[in-house]
Amino acid sequence: MRVSWKWLNELVDLSSLGTGMAGAQSLGELLTRRGLEVEELQSQSDGWEKVVSVKILERNRHPEADRLSLCSVSFGSGEPLEIVCGAQNMKAGDIVALAQIGAKLPNGLKIEKSKIRGVVSNGMLCSEAELGMAAESEGIMILPESTPLGRPLAEILGRDDIVLTLKLTANRSDCLSHVGLAREVASALGKKVCFPKGYTREELERWVKETPSKVTLKLEAGEDSPQFWAVSLKNVKVAPSPAWLVRRLETLGSRSINNVVDATNLVMLELGQPTHAYDAAKLQGEILGVRSGKVGEELPLLDGTSVKLQGEELVIFDGARSVGLAGVMGGGNSEVESGTTEVLLESAEFAPVRVRRASSRHSKKTEAAHRFERGVDPLGVAGAMGRLVQLLQDLAGAQVSGATSAVLPSRSGEGLKKSRRLISVDPAFFADFLGMPLTEAEIEKELLAQSCEIQKDSVKEWRVTPPAHRLDLNLREDLAEEIARSVGYDRIPATIPKLTNAPISRVSDPSMGALTVMNRAKDSLVRAGLLEAVNLAFTHEGWLKELGFENSIRVLNPLSEDFAALQPSILPGLIRNTLDNWRHHFGSEVPAVRLFELRPTFHLPEGETRKIEARGEMETGVIEKWKLGIVVSGSRQEHGLKPEIAEVDFFDLKAIVERLLQDLGTRGVRFSPLASTRSPDSPLVRMLHPGQSVEILAGNAVAGVMGLLHPRLTRGWKARSALWVVELDWELLSKLSRGPGEERAFKPWSAFPPMERDYALLVKSDVPAEKLVQSALKAGKPFAKSAKVFDVYRGSQVPEGMTSLALKVIFSEDTRALQESETEGASAKIIEAWKKEFGAELR
Amino acid sequence: MLDQLEALGGKALNEVQAATSLDSLEQVRISVLGKKGGLSEVLKGLGSVPATERPKIGAVANEWKRKIEEAMALKKASLEGAALDQEIRSQRIDITLPSRFSHRGALHPITTTTRKIAEVFGRLGFDVMTGPEAETDFLNFEAVNIPKDHPARDMQDTFFLGPGVVLRTHTSAVQMRALRSREWPVRILCPGAVYRCDQDATHSPMFHQVEGLWVDRHVKMSDLKGVLEFFARELFGAETRIRLRPSYFPFVEPGAEVDVSCFQCGTSPKHECRVCKGTGWLEILGAGMVHPKLFEVAGYDPREVTGFAFGMGVERIAMLLHRIPDLRLMFQGDVRFLGQF
Repeated sequence: MRVSWKWLNELVDLSSLGTGMAGAQSLGELLTRRGLEVEELQSQSDGWEKVVSVKILERNRHPEADRLSLCSVSFGSGEPLEIVCGAQNMKAGDIVALAQIGAKLPNGLKIEKSKIRGVVSNGMLCSEAELGMAAESEGIMILPESTPLGRPLAEILGRDDIVLTLKLTANRSDCLSHVGLAREVASALGKKVCFPKGYTREELERWVKETPSKVTLKLEAGEDSPQFWAVSLKNVKVAPSPAWLVRRLETLGSRSINNVVDATNLVMLELGQPTHAYDAAKLQGEILGVRSGKVGEELPLLDGTSVKLQGEELVIFDGARSVGLAGVMGGGNSEVESGTTEVLLESAEFAPVRVRRASSRHSKKTEAAHRFERGVDPLGVAGAMGRLVQLLQDLAGAQVSGATSAVLPSRSGEGLKKSRRLISVDPAFFADFLGMPLTEAEIEKELLAQSCEIQKDSVKEWRVTPPAHRLDLNLREDLAEEIARSVGYDRIPATIPKLTNAPISRVSDPSMGALTVMNRAKDSLVRAGLLEAVNLAFTHEGWLKELGFENSIRVLNPLSEDFAALQPSILPGLIRNTLDNWRHHFGSEVPAVRLFELRPTFHLPEGETRKIEARGEMETGVIEKWKLGIVVSGSRQEHGLKPEIAEVDFFDLKAIVERLLQDLGTRGVRFSPLASTRSPDSPLVRMLHPGQSVEILAGNAVAGVMGLLHPRLTRGWKARSALWVVELDWELLSKLSRGPGEERAFKPWSAFPPMERDYALLVKSDVPAEKLVQSALKAGKPFAKSAKVFDVYRGSQVPEGMTSLALKVIFSEDTRALQESETEGASAKIIEAWKKEFGAELR
Repeated sequence: MLDQLEALGGKALNEVQAATSLDSLEQVRISVLGKKGGLSEVLKGLGSVPATERPKIGAVANEWKRKIEEAMALKKASLEGAALDQEIRSQRIDITLPSRFSHRGALHPITTTTRKIAEVFGRLGFDVMTGPEAETDFLNFEAVNIPKDHPARDMQDTFFLGPGVVLRTHTSAVQMRALRSREWPVRILCPGAVYRCDQDATHSPMFHQVEGLWVDRHVKMSDLKGVLEFFARELFGAETRIRLRPSYFPFVEPGAEVDVSCFQCGTSPKHECRVCKGTGWLEILGAGMVHPKLFEVAGYDPREVTGFAFGMGVERIAMLLHRIPDLRLMFQGDVRFLGQF
């Protein structure tokens, strides 16, 4: 909200804060300290320091440019100056605003002595836009003929106010007006508010009785519109507003329309109560009322648009149609115009929820709606009418011709008294709750300063009644905040609370344990030389489809299509990252991209295609699965000489995953060729090259996949190198991993030297090497302790379809040295098994 | 005979000196000291020497043997040294060639910052808890005192997935899940991704928060201040001060915005400071005393327990700590960015 320093000064004595900018700054600090954050302070003359009035003596064409003029300007005395100007709307004799050398205009433009097409310009003639007075303007600003020359523009235009921009929180509706803010400041400074003059509710009630209006009020929305005041005015002279009013409105960011409309706006800015003025001649049937909008009904609005009602809005209606979107905007069919002489004024209260729905539904975020949504002071509705009538008598010569009101029992004097909020509190609560020393006298002083009433039933029980305008004070905790912010949050000491129970155990609580395992996984991947990426949880649906993911969950109101679908997998993000990295890289070498990400992915329940919908308080129906994704591409080393920085291949990827599983202490996970998958249609399987990828299995469950991205995809992207990917079901993996309470146990090694045997085998190429290893360990029991493949050869030295494999088997016994014959025996059994199971022959 | 020894010894010493390799030195050794060497040959004539002379000649011979051996040892060492020097010279490499440098991995600044925060609060006894990112409207809003059609909903522009289902706008929903599933005392820290419809250099539609909650009998607002002061000092340095300003968040009352003193320019704010923009303060936290409505929803008696809660943006802190100029860099997976931390 924009606040005028000058206006506030009229409402409360601010002299103790200082004058001018210094005073406004102290006010800003005071308000911010009290929870009303002042975001910006702007003097209206900011940027106008070196802008003065000058007269154009001559206007000539620029010798080098047809579209530029060369003006000679005078300050009234002294030497004239030459100014180059691009505008066309001025002539000799005009008085204009000159920004002199050294000026820094509100739009940031610095004026320097410069040559424009070879001619020196000693400043700039300014437009209203350049001076920050208008969003746009045509040509430069021409000042009235009577303007004195050589005077600062701020002085000439009377722009000597300072505007404070407040970032008000949603609870402080009482401060959405100058009087409201003055009340807050007055309580802080111990001063009184000087309320603007106007008729009281009692006077209005007398008019209603003595000069009833011909208009009949019909409240058909019950408690959603609990009070409605209407006053008929005659002999209204609609005219432009006086200068002070125009300036005041402009200072606060609204445009002056005419004296009647401006008066309603002024009342809102002054008292916080929105009001409306109808052209009485345009209203039909001498009826005015409030009801819910009819579905499909068209309502033209003041701003020239028209809305189709949905039924949840409140509308104002007359004898024939709707004439306003209640609390949001007046109708375009009943507005006050220059010829209007009879006016009907409205000041009413509407339910915040109804106004909010109407304003959101039709995207009409008006000042009135902003205030009604947050709640208006029920005691202030009639007062605002009284003030408005007073203003229109002064500004437009209006005369009251009648008045009427419709007030539900809840808003009658009696009803309002009954609904007063009473807060019962033991005064000792405040010191306990805030953790600071507070005397009863202090508490009482601060509450009274906020216009609370206190009734002391006993030492331990006070009954506090907050003022009607403070809709946010309902609980003792609210009062505690009032006291704390009045004495200052700085006075609250810093203490450390006592631990009264043990923290949740990492060892026994699964969710705490999961976090430890997660950290361990990330650290393992970092050691493997991978960078952790974090991608947004949403992406373009088309990208997901391209990768084969159908049925992703859509955000109903995405920022744009690029952020419309929730990620069903980590890989779309990581692959996109890789392509982006390649795109950003200009060198001849392909950059290595090695990323991992561990995040939730989003899924519809199995077999579910219907929309997402909440089921009870806690269930969303969205399934979130944490997954670990990896992409690796490019050189094996960050740098090194040529042969050593070859591109990564499957076995580099396999090493990363094996080391991860080792670091996690994962049990029971095996790799199986992708070709033998049982779910060939899963998008992840379809994304991979079937000959260079594996499925990672845990028992019967698929724990993930790893391998080469299918050429079908990468060819289309003109991929700059092979792209290796992994995706693991993190929840499954973490369950199979060593928990935080499980430490690795020491394993002793044999003190006796082992015996080694190397074998060169000729086997069919389709026999997986791993099977030979397993077979050796089994056949060589109990002495064969390890078996490793250390060389593979396929080529001219071996027959077609055959592979030569070199294996090393190590034999040992923990407690003694092996006899040569024992090793030989085991070795023979191994060779026999190889031959029997795979037809493998020693070479 | 003494003359013979003298001549032999002198010649041998000369030959030792003249040797140019270990091989030629060995030849000298064999020719002088070997079984059939010069010395043995001379000493063969010892039998013809009078017995009284023999000890003297023996002593002279031994002396020559010792001298020659000594000279040979010296020469050998010198020759070996020279040979090693030669070998080493030939083995010289260009140490300026590039190393076989493996790729460096790194955690994302969001992770490292979250870990730092969790570590500090972990020392105070907070438990880390996480929850779903798709949340019910009830837990995300209503349960934390943001009713439907309340203006406070404007504070957080929300992504919807379906009727009553949103992408959580804060991790407060996790706090409510914790309160409902546990009994007090409760101290939890909830890190995680949150979502708001907003995007520019300082707003991302997804970002990360850490929220904390401490519920027990007699928890006071001063406890909130003490805990946050400890946190700020652990994260930003021992000299850090904090400042609480009254503010409004529907789930707390009283509510506060918490600023920490600028860790860059500290006690004497400098106008040109790029971290705090000259104000001397950094706004990093929202906090307050848990609103009694939340206790009611959780099934606790607000007359029995009180609590404090706080929340902070992880990216905001990471950007401050690492001087990252644009929030969007965090989510682009750019190796030029990720490789720096």
